[in-house]
Amino acid sequence: MEKLMINQVSKVYGEKESSVKALDSVSLNVKEGEFIAVVGPSGSGKTSLLAIVGALLKPTQGSIKLNGIEMKGLTSSQLTKIRMNQIGFILQSSNLIPYLTAKDQLLLLSHMAGNNGREYRNRAEELLSNLGLAHRMNHYPEALSGGEKQRVAIARALMNNPDIILADEPTASLDTQRGREVVQMLVKEVKTRKKAAIMVTHDERMLDLCDRIMRMTDGKLTELRA
Amino acid sequence: MFLAWREIKHSKLRYLLIGLIIMLIAWLVFFLSGLANGLSTANGASIQSMKADYVVFDKNSSVSMLRSLLPDSMVDEIKKTPGVKDAAPLGQLTVSIAKVNDEEQVDATILATEPNSFLVPKINEGTSFHNDSNEIILDDSFKSYGYAIGDQLKIIQSDKVLKVVGFVSNQAYNHMPVLFMDIQHWQTLKFPTEQSKSGIENPVSVIAVQKDSDFNKDILNQISNIDVVTKNTALQNLPGYSAESLSVNMMLFFLFIIAAFVLAVFFYVITLQKSNQFGVLKAIGANTAFLSKNLIMQVLIVTAIGILVGVVLTYGIASVIPEKVPFALDNLTVAIYSLLLLVIALLGTILSLGRIAKIDALQAIGRVE
Ligand SMILES: Nc1ncnc2c1ncn2[C@@H]1O[C@H](COP(=O)(O)OP(=O)(O)OP(=O)(O)O)[C@@H](O)[C@H]1O
Ligand SMILES: [Mg+2]
Repeated sequence: MEKLMINQVSKVYGEKESSVKALDSVSLNVKEGEFIAVVGPSGSGKTSLLAIVGALLKPTQGSIKLNGIEMKGLTSSQLTKIRMNQIGFILQSSNLIPYLTAKDQLLLLSHMAGNNGREYRNRAEELLSNLGLAHRMNHYPEALSGGEKQRVAIARALMNNPDIILADEPTASLDTQRGREVVQMLVKEVKTRKKAAIMVTHDERMLDLCDRIMRMTDGKLTELRA
Repeated sequence: MFLAWREIKHSKLRYLLIGLIIMLIAWLVFFLSGLANGLSTANGASIQSMKADYVVFDKNSSVSMLRSLLPDSMVDEIKKTPGVKDAAPLGQLTVSIAKVNDEEQVDATILATEPNSFLVPKINEGTSFHNDSNEIILDDSFKSYGYAIGDQLKIIQSDKVLKVVGFVSNQAYNHMPVLFMDIQHWQTLKFPTEQSKSGIENPVSVIAVQKDSDFNKDILNQISNIDVVTKNTALQNLPGYSAESLSVNMMLFFLFIIAAFVLAVFFYVITLQKSNQFGVLKAIGANTAFLSKNLIMQVLIVTAIGILVGVVLTYGIASVIPEKVPFALDNLTVAIYSLLLLVIALLGTILSLGRIAKIDALQAIGRVE
């Protein structure tokens, strides 16, 4: 079962002379339970790809199907709903809301989806505990280390049980040990709950945990290892 | 609500400061309106509270009580006019009075009418005055000068002696306390010589009219040489009345405009500061409606609390304000102005809401907090 189908997607930023071709006919299919790594030099278009798949950015050309649904024709409010319910985005910088405690960062997601209840508080606590943050649940971002913030952002991305996890260098601010644990946890989440994941990473040591490895160079995506 | 309250709790100082500004603006608004109300009360309370609907002036008086002179016989003529329920003469005179054997003078306005007319206010203490007597009833404020029932007062301008028989409350005219007396006795004070009556027999200043359901102003106006105006018009034509309320109302008007700008700019600046954050929220699935609701909730919470504290402060200060200051709070006005401030604060958020709608979720990508 294909969770995600990226077909001939191109992205051009800007107009005419100053235009930058960030993505050049990128195609990629991701199956249920598949964990894909994307590597590549800085500026090659990795974040752009995630932004397009994550419905934050419209491709210049090509089509994206999420759970078999073509995203091209959807209105912006439909896309917002998809972002809330089906996509878990882990941003390159953790981007937490400064005035919410770690637990509230997660509860905001379920609250927006209209879910307020004991079970959701339990889920938030469980997610944070799994990421080693049991003792940080009621801390504000200002009181968390960079790695802790990143882990809260990861937990937040999983909160609404999304179909697809998009992670932009999620382990950049973690040490190797922690980084591996976090990726292992993401892999487990993907396998057991039949999700799909794309992770952009610079960290070679994480690659053995991934099912497929893709390389992005100058907007072109090629398979390194299947 | 989820975000609104949590953010206020976390950024206490910021919202406290905004609340403080709102409180000060609200306080200023209420204080000015209390002053406006107090001034107009001090100027026209007696006219405002009189149980009349229309006032008949001498045509050549330009609606001035000071200049208007009408014959007393006209009262009966007006009473007979169809649509008129009742009519009563009113005489006005400004005097300085003092207790007999005392030098301390008080400026006062004499309002004179017939002893049993509807123009005599409710007596709080003592009795009313009698026909053709030197009896007077005083406004309560005279008590602060030590005046009491049974006192003999002299009028400085004429060496006539008056006798206090009762007290009424909230009677003021032209920023002076009022004393009521019989119209015939008033005539002897106002017109000491035959000449001063300008050829009018038993002159009075104006005639107050109570209307019936079939009242028609035009029919009444057919009586020659008179000018029929509503009580409110008579009030507006008191010396200085419109000018006073106009200047205070101008201040209030500008205060509201300033409040609108200050609040709009405050919330707009905060929104600008947070645009990256709004981008993140949109990226994780918040829509514009959700974010707008949160902003409106915040504005409502902060403004409502600010106004409430402002109201408490105003009433607190009003209770310790010296009695000589013309300050009178009207609960209804306070309620209306509170609501108006709230509406203005909400209007001010439109600017910020437009900003929020424009923020792109893409802003969240590749940026550092
Ligand atoms: N909003 C934008 N407007 C114009 N050009 C952009 C914009 N965003 C990205 N680009 C350009 O598109 C190209 C790809 O950017 P992208 O952010 O996808 O790279 P990346 O692979 O994520 O790099 P890094 O590893 O440094 O994060 C870059 O050359 C970048 O300058
Ligand atoms: Mg990037």
